[in-house]
Amino acid sequence: MAMLEFESVYKKPGNTLFKWVFGEDPFDFWVGRFYVGFFGLVAAVTIALGVSILFIAVGQYGDWDLWRANIPPPGRSVGLGWAPFLQGGAWQTVVILATLSFIAWGLREVDICRKLEIGFHVPAMFSLAISAWVVLQILRPLLMGCWCEGFDLSFTGHLTWVSNTGFRYMNFYLNPFHAYAVLGFFLTAMVLAMHGSAILGTYNTDKDPNVEMRREDSFWRDYVGYSIGEYGIHRLGFYLAVYTLIMSDLCILTSGTLVKDWVDFWHPF
Amino acid sequence: MATILPRPVEPIEEAEPSVLDDADLLGIRLGTPVRLDLLSDLKIDTQIGTIWLGTWGLLSTVLFVAGLGVTFLAGMDQVNGNPWVLVKYFANIRVSPPDGLGMAHSLRDGGYWQIVTLLWAGSTLAWAGRCYERLVRHKWRPYLLVAWLSAILLTATIWVFHPIVVGSWADAPALGLNSDLSWAQNFSVLWGNLYYNPFHQLAIFFLFGSTMLWGMHGATILATGSEGSHHEDNEIKSMSSGSEKAALFWRWTMGFNAFPKSIHDWLWWYAVGTVLSSAIGIIMTGVMTNDWYVWGVDHGTVAQYGPITRSAINQYPRPMPPPPTGYAYVPAPGK
Repeated sequence: MAMLEFESVYKKPGNTLFKWVFGEDPFDFWVGRFYVGFFGLVAAVTIALGVSILFIAVGQYGDWDLWRANIPPPGRSVGLGWAPFLQGGAWQTVVILATLSFIAWGLREVDICRKLEIGFHVPAMFSLAISAWVVLQILRPLLMGCWCEGFDLSFTGHLTWVSNTGFRYMNFYLNPFHAYAVLGFFLTAMVLAMHGSAILGTYNTDKDPNVEMRREDSFWRDYVGYSIGEYGIHRLGFYLAVYTLIMSDLCILTSGTLVKDWVDFWHPF
Repeated sequence: MATILPRPVEPIEEAEPSVLDDADLLGIRLGTPVRLDLLSDLKIDTQIGTIWLGTWGLLSTVLFVAGLGVTFLAGMDQVNGNPWVLVKYFANIRVSPPDGLGMAHSLRDGGYWQIVTLLWAGSTLAWAGRCYERLVRHKWRPYLLVAWLSAILLTATIWVFHPIVVGSWADAPALGLNSDLSWAQNFSVLWGNLYYNPFHQLAIFFLFGSTMLWGMHGATILATGSEGSHHEDNEIKSMSSGSEKAALFWRWTMGFNAFPKSIHDWLWWYAVGTVLSSAIGIIMTGVMTNDWYVWGVDHGTVAQYGPITRSAINQYPRPMPPPPTGYAYVPAPGK
């Protein structure tokens, strides 16, 4: 892309985690636009294996419809043991491979950050996103003593799981962490719209020379009395997303383990 | 890894004068700007104030406060005017809408709700006027107004349009803390599980996507801000090394990257997409189907988990349970 003519300036070998540990990095190269690296290789292998098993399992279960194709977790009798392939073993394998590939993807982001000499905010945020997956599919099933607590790998199947889980603990809307998480989701959407509008509303182009004097700060001060600033808005958005993910983790981690009934939970109050 | 340099002391900024400011009789900036140095520890701007009053702003504030007042009166009416009981049962106080589509018969049977809904509808619309007027004054393109109007569209769909379509104000949320949560729960159950509503699915996709995009964009700018990527309106004209690194990070990670302008297109459309698809999902409830689970089974998007009684589903308009009336606070025996 013509706009990326600066790419060659930054595209240099070295500075990877693998090289830092072993002194030499044979995986330190790009394939097309993708950086590979040791963790890219791990991610590619685990993704390829996981997707293959996903397709094999879906073929065995027989419903190829994009919406309904379903890979269910093991049954309750399996507990924390291994299940036969079609009785949940496929789910267990895919979950393990997916978790490995997520972690490898995050470490690959760390490598790219080290190459570009930028902060590690993106892999830090990505590790929080992985935490939601780990809490739902691994940590909470471990605490509950059964792999059957994980959600189905499916489109409407996982929606059914969400619906059932909500009713299982009586009324999930009364889970305070769930309410805080929903608040976080709504706030991120609102602040996202405000930030997007601020930049799209004010950016300057060569074609549009009359608007050089557009000022974000004085608009926001007029409008709501405070302007958080061009750096501050990204800190706000970043920490709103962090808050939302932590609350989401807490909301499902406490359900069934500490609290069995979110309506009854409020009784002492 | 580069670090963020300490912020220079920011001078207090006053808005530049404009003829448009004098066109408004109430066009004054309230207060005097102050610096709160504590905020610089959070690496956010330290100046608080001033705030523009304006006719639209005053109108919006007055209508909003009036709505709050009527809500307070409705709550006091439910607890026989005892403020201590109002505080104690605040979460359970609910101001319910009336049944049917006409005027409520009395204040308690939905009259309060109708008054508050009208006042707050006026307040949000007046705020849209304020938004438009300030956007013109500061020569912004009208993205913020469109986003705010989309938010109003969703609220109006939930509170006004959908109840009109299905024939009862009672399908709108009651005002209150727990009643808000109950509405979300009951609305989904009443219309056969909203998870199988494709527009609700799309809205959740955009909503989670908004949080994800804030995570990605916020993290990217914080990681590269020491090289100037956060001066976004100038970066769109010419990119600094920070924006170059931000673009390359995503290109090398996932084979695709946005640029300082296009990332904000993504952000804006995800946020606005959330409310627009939500509004479509709400207005289609009762129009496309009376039961989203059955719709999903009929259209092959969800496996059928049990028997379906179609005679109950095809009743239209749907029989509504009468809303709870009168007093939310009923003392338990012995208290």
